[in-house]
Amino acid sequence: MSTTEKAREGPVRKNGEGHRQRINWGTIIWAVMLIMALFAILFPIYVVFKTSLADRASIVTGGRYPEPLWPFDPNFDQFKVLFGKEDFITAGLDSLWVALLSVTFALLLGTPAAFTLARFKFPGMATLALVIIAIRLFPDIASAVPVAEWFMRPPMVYIPPLIQVALAHALLSAPYVVFICQGVFETIPRDLEEQAQIMGASRLQAFLNVVLPVAMPGVAAAAIYTFLLSWNEFIFAYYLLFQSPNTTLPVFMLRLLTWTPQRNYLAALAVVLSLPVILFTFLAQRWMISGMTAGAVK
Amino acid sequence: MAAADVQLERSFRQRFGDFWSKYGFAISLLVPCTIYMLFFLVIIAFNLLQLSLTHRVSLVEEVFPSVQNYTTLATSSQFQEAFIRTVVFVLVGTPLQLVAGLVLAMIIYRQFTGRGIVRSIFLLPVAIPALVTASIVAYMLFTYPFGHINDLLLGRLFFPGILTEPVKWYASPYSALGLALLAKVWRDMPISMLILLAGLQSISSDQYEAAESMGSSGWQCFWYITIPLLVPAISTVLVLRSIEVWKEFIFPFIIAPTYPILGVLLDHVYHRMRNPEMAAAIGVVLVLLILLTRLVLNFGTEKVRAYLVKV
Repeated sequence: MSTTEKAREGPVRKNGEGHRQRINWGTIIWAVMLIMALFAILFPIYVVFKTSLADRASIVTGGRYPEPLWPFDPNFDQFKVLFGKEDFITAGLDSLWVALLSVTFALLLGTPAAFTLARFKFPGMATLALVIIAIRLFPDIASAVPVAEWFMRPPMVYIPPLIQVALAHALLSAPYVVFICQGVFETIPRDLEEQAQIMGASRLQAFLNVVLPVAMPGVAAAAIYTFLLSWNEFIFAYYLLFQSPNTTLPVFMLRLLTWTPQRNYLAALAVVLSLPVILFTFLAQRWMISGMTAGAVK
Repeated sequence: MAAADVQLERSFRQRFGDFWSKYGFAISLLVPCTIYMLFFLVIIAFNLLQLSLTHRVSLVEEVFPSVQNYTTLATSSQFQEAFIRTVVFVLVGTPLQLVAGLVLAMIIYRQFTGRGIVRSIFLLPVAIPALVTASIVAYMLFTYPFGHINDLLLGRLFFPGILTEPVKWYASPYSALGLALLAKVWRDMPISMLILLAGLQSISSDQYEAAESMGSSGWQCFWYITIPLLVPAISTVLVLRSIEVWKEFIFPFIIAPTYPILGVLLDHVYHRMRNPEMAAAIGVVLVLLILLTRLVLNFGTEKVRAYLVKV
């Protein structure tokens, strides 16, 4: 009896081991892939942070020694130089101004439209929604040419260049605002505004005083998304500010690139440009994702 | 007769009034956004076409309409080269984006501790401005003759060297555009990952359990369950990503300006040669190519799906 049990146990245990081993192989491959993916993503980001702290000897090696993976004498000199430069400060403020303006435009246009798309059904609505998204079919580089040419004509040419850029950015981000806010409004129960209307509020009052405050977190996320889009945006800013003394930070960076700058200085600028984006993306991740995949669902 | 007219008018007014009281609020909320978008859409489409059909003879003299710009483009070797580069860029780049996104999605699909943090890290590339990514690649990683990657290949860091000469990254169109593509794929991985991850999560575990109970291996599960059921997500990724690659400008503009693809050529023509008409013609070609890709891919993935999912 006992021997047969043992005999039975043997193959069973072996079988179990074999099974476990197969899972282990999968896990090992998975772990290797995970480490490789993490390395591929984090290494370039690490390099830009490291270079921004580098002293001169760590970037100008002359081939006598390999470039160190951590600077010999890390310091914040580049950042001090950068923040001491007047044109950098001006570019930063201009970028901020353009981004805030474009957030205002995009929210003013997009939030009400999103509310309608979330709440009402009427003939022709699908076409209107299509019009709002159609702009994404055009490559930015192709639509920047007619927009830039249009802004060069007499009545439009008097619009200050930074406002032109903000208008263009609002054009790019309004579809995202509509999409994100539509999702937010759909989660808010209809009863809320109906109650307000029963108590005598008009539809507009119900929207402004009841629905919007409840939707605020989502709308704020859309605002952040719009802000970052404008902060990062390069093509329209480059085309519209080509002959203008004003610059946004990406255009400032491009002008720096054309003079083959010192790499640690360039890296410092890159860090200043990306830090706010990285921080906000972490903070408002859920909403960033809905913005990033906006095109996928429609 | 007149009374009937009045009645008709009244009923029309009444009907319009009904419609307005029902939908007026909704429409007036929707109108500003639609008008703004439509206005710019018309400006972009109309100006692009008009510019591309204008042939500028001299500073003051121009001919409209004329297809001169298009015929000049068709015979220009610069345009032909850029066109071929762009087609190769798209044909290589789109599958790469799909594979990179699929690898990340398969990694993150598994449940493990620290999954949230890893997912946040996987989202990082898309959070970094494209201009910054391009300058990291061109000015910090792949520099010539020194720089991290060349140091690594020459065996000056941890590994024994593979090469004896540093690679001139920007001297050949293959390596320069390859780097631009690498940067592009690196930056856009998270977007493909998110779409494919949603697709993976929508496949019910019953199917895998059924397959496993019938003795199929992990590899078979992947080929006969995951891939066919992932076709909708894959086709979304292919359509969206190929459009993005056609549109690409910043990475080749910074990393491979000497080997222009269509977007970069458009910028050269517009800014260096000050020829907006020709630039607009290139823009029209790009828009048409994107529409064509979209049609072909929609048709193609529909066929593949019909072939793979046999009910």
